[in-house]
Amino acid sequence: MALEIRPLEQFKIDRLIPIHIGGVDVSYTNAAFLMTIAVLLITALLVFGTRKRALVPGRWQSIAEMSYEFVADMVETNVGHGGQEFFPFVFTLFMFILFANFLGLVPYSYTVTSQIIVTFALAAVVFIGVTIIGIVRHGFHFLRLFVPQGVPAALLLLLVPIELLSYCIRPFTLAIRLFANMLAGHTMLAIFGGFAASLGLLGIFPMGIDILIVALEVLVAALQAYVFAILTCLYLSDAINLH
Amino acid sequence: MSEGNPPDPLARLGEEIEKARAERVRRPVVRDRAVLQQGLGLGFRIGIELVVAVVVATGIGWAIDRWLGTRPWGMIVLFFLGVAAGMLNVYRAVTGVSRAVGYRPPDAGATTGEKRSDDEDC
Repeated sequence: MALEIRPLEQFKIDRLIPIHIGGVDVSYTNAAFLMTIAVLLITALLVFGTRKRALVPGRWQSIAEMSYEFVADMVETNVGHGGQEFFPFVFTLFMFILFANFLGLVPYSYTVTSQIIVTFALAAVVFIGVTIIGIVRHGFHFLRLFVPQGVPAALLLLLVPIELLSYCIRPFTLAIRLFANMLAGHTMLAIFGGFAASLGLLGIFPMGIDILIVALEVLVAALQAYVFAILTCLYLSDAINLH
Repeated sequence: MSEGNPPDPLARLGEEIEKARAERVRRPVVRDRAVLQQGLGLGFRIGIELVVAVVVATGIGWAIDRWLGTRPWGMIVLFFLGVAAGMLNVYRAVTGVSRAVGYRPPDAGATTGEKRSDDEDC
């Protein structure tokens, strides 16, 4: 029996509720559905978790408080005192990516962050937002970010384009990192899953590998959300703590 | 202390203290894990940095060539600039000297002290 293995089928977008407005396809897809679930779960966790406001927190309140403190700490150490006003933004980003990644690990669900357009949209918001914040805070002075200090004028001709380029590739690295990690992990899971299904009794070996990959994916899911949030903090710190 | 005398409240207290101490010794492992987590985060971060820098820069060069009709040159120059930018990003991520583009810590002490003194010489 030849079992067809299609490891990339899991990334297919299905239109659950087709909507077309003026020739533009704005259908409610399975990706949008998973995003809705993620937002609802986050809201539920934070609203219902902290409802009791117990001095000694219960389980849910603990989770809500821990995630709050984790991100607050991250913002405090990486951006500094001026950064607390951006805490809501970083917290939202972190929780959304974390939940999207974890929900993607649930069998038969959909991994939103494996779509590069989703991760790129998030990265572009960070990039444009940080640039605007920098310009608003420092005005024309913001361009000094691209001029390294203590360099002979002749070398600036070479260094300024490099600095400019390494600033402009930020949204790409941010987006591709998250997207590639999620895509690769889930494809690997599906491939080994396909082996396990087609090898019969011997399939127990690829299944064992799959179990290990799931463990790795749990780590990657949390880590990538962390990396995305901490890089956002570092970029914010660039724009705020400019000299 | 009197050994093997559980009913004795003092001994029980001693036991409890011992247990608490043992737990405290186990604590640093958790802190190690935090360090490990940060290291992992860094590793996952820089892995992709170089590749993306080169690819994106070359892509920009290709686009410039198409736009201005300067066939190979934009791509060649941007390729090397991309390599440089990628290496710069990785270097900065690893050493934590200016943590990102042009970043200098507010108290330009240990890490950028050299740069600063250079600046004054110029």
